[in-house]
Amino acid sequence: MHRRASQLTIAAVAFVLGLLVVLQLRSQASDSALAQLSAQDLTVLVANLNARNDQLRREGSTLERELNTLTSNQARGDASVDEITDDLGRVRAYAGLEPVAGPGVTIAVEGPIDGPGVEELINELRNAGAEAIAVGDVRMVPGEVVSGTAGALAVGDTALPPGFELTAIGAPDKLTGSLTRSGGVIAQFAATQPDIVVTVTPVDRVELPATDRTLIPAHGRPRL
Amino acid sequence: MTALARIRALPSWQLTLGVALLALGFLIAAQLAAEGPRVRYTTQERTPLVQTAKDLQTEQDGLKARILELRDKIQGVEGEGAGAAATVKQLNADLQQARIAAGLIPLTGTGIVIQLEDSKEPAPPGGSEADYLVGSRDIRDVVEQLWHSGAEAISVNGERITTSTAIIDVGTSLLVNSAYLTPPYQVSAIGAPDLYQELSASPGFIDFVRARGAGYGIQISVAEPESVDIPAFVGTVTLRYSRPIESPSAGPSAVPSGGPGASSSGGR
Repeated sequence: MHRRASQLTIAAVAFVLGLLVVLQLRSQASDSALAQLSAQDLTVLVANLNARNDQLRREGSTLERELNTLTSNQARGDASVDEITDDLGRVRAYAGLEPVAGPGVTIAVEGPIDGPGVEELINELRNAGAEAIAVGDVRMVPGEVVSGTAGALAVGDTALPPGFELTAIGAPDKLTGSLTRSGGVIAQFAATQPDIVVTVTPVDRVELPATDRTLIPAHGRPRL
Repeated sequence: MTALARIRALPSWQLTLGVALLALGFLIAAQLAAEGPRVRYTTQERTPLVQTAKDLQTEQDGLKARILELRDKIQGVEGEGAGAAATVKQLNADLQQARIAAGLIPLTGTGIVIQLEDSKEPAPPGGSEADYLVGSRDIRDVVEQLWHSGAEAISVNGERITTSTAIIDVGTSLLVNSAYLTPPYQVSAIGAPDLYQELSASPGFIDFVRARGAGYGIQISVAEPESVDIPAFVGTVTLRYSRPIESPSAGPSAVPSGGPGASSSGGR
């Protein structure tokens, strides 16, 4: 009887002990990153998460409508050619496989900018919600990188002449504001490399070419 | 009775229990001590923000799961119509190729995984602490070098790099596709079997390893697994400002907006 009680006690203690070890490890692993952020960083994070979640919600609704149309067409014995064609156009435009036009900005770049510097501008445009970007005549798609030192820039295998332009489609005021904000990418150029002159011009309509890449992997295959 | 003899006289279960209770005490103390500063932190005005961020992350996970599910169903329904006309079959095949090109299909293949971790070296007095942490610039460098070396598809901690992906800093962490990522960062890439050789021979990557790895102690490691899995991009592919052009011109062309405050560009 005495033995049974002691075993139970040990079991109980071991259980609590295990629980505490797990708790301790988890509390150290998970929240630490968020807890380290300042109130300002948290505000940026929350704004970004909000914007992304809005996008995801819209995409979800679009897909839901698409699925409803497809299923009702299917019930009627309709082949849904129009819907599939629309879907195809949408995905090809996003991927950069179709030339597109819309409002946006043109960005004239003068001076000794290097490849990573141009990539900074592109990253900022994407962050501001640019839907399509071209550097010179090259549509920027995954795999396309602006590289090289100042004066010897290239996009992929295409040389980039001095005084080149970037073009992007998106909300002109948002794209302009994001690039020219204080502490933004252009302000940083002005502080560290004042010889680089970046001029952002909002435009009502800009046309971007399609990529000449197929974007179909030769080594990766679809995982189902 | 000496102390030693007294211990020997104890039944073994009492000893076990004693040791376990001792450990328990330590752990409770550690737990309380660990919670101290965090509680103090979050009792300030940041508490609601941290909670909001957490809630939004949870919501994001749910929204992503729903999009993946809907895409699956749509692909299923579209595929079932394939028995019909040849035009529908062709359309579906084109759509599948377009989805692969857009990064909407998960891929598997030969490739490498590069892991980046913050430096273990403390920042010297007067040095910038940020230099010793992995930042968005580092991840963009690695991604650019991988594309340059012929990578076909890349993801960072499960976020697919697509044509719309921005990689930015938020505090000491990152936002990729507006998803909140923390170190260690794993950059996975699919490419030719010699992707690693190409990368390690590229001057840009050698410079990066020298500057960030040797210079600041950023921990850079490369793995070459049997196969690398890259997830699909889960996000919107609906363009709100862009329209397809029916008869495209040769290059990009712009119509300056007439609004006030528009500066003039240099022209081309």
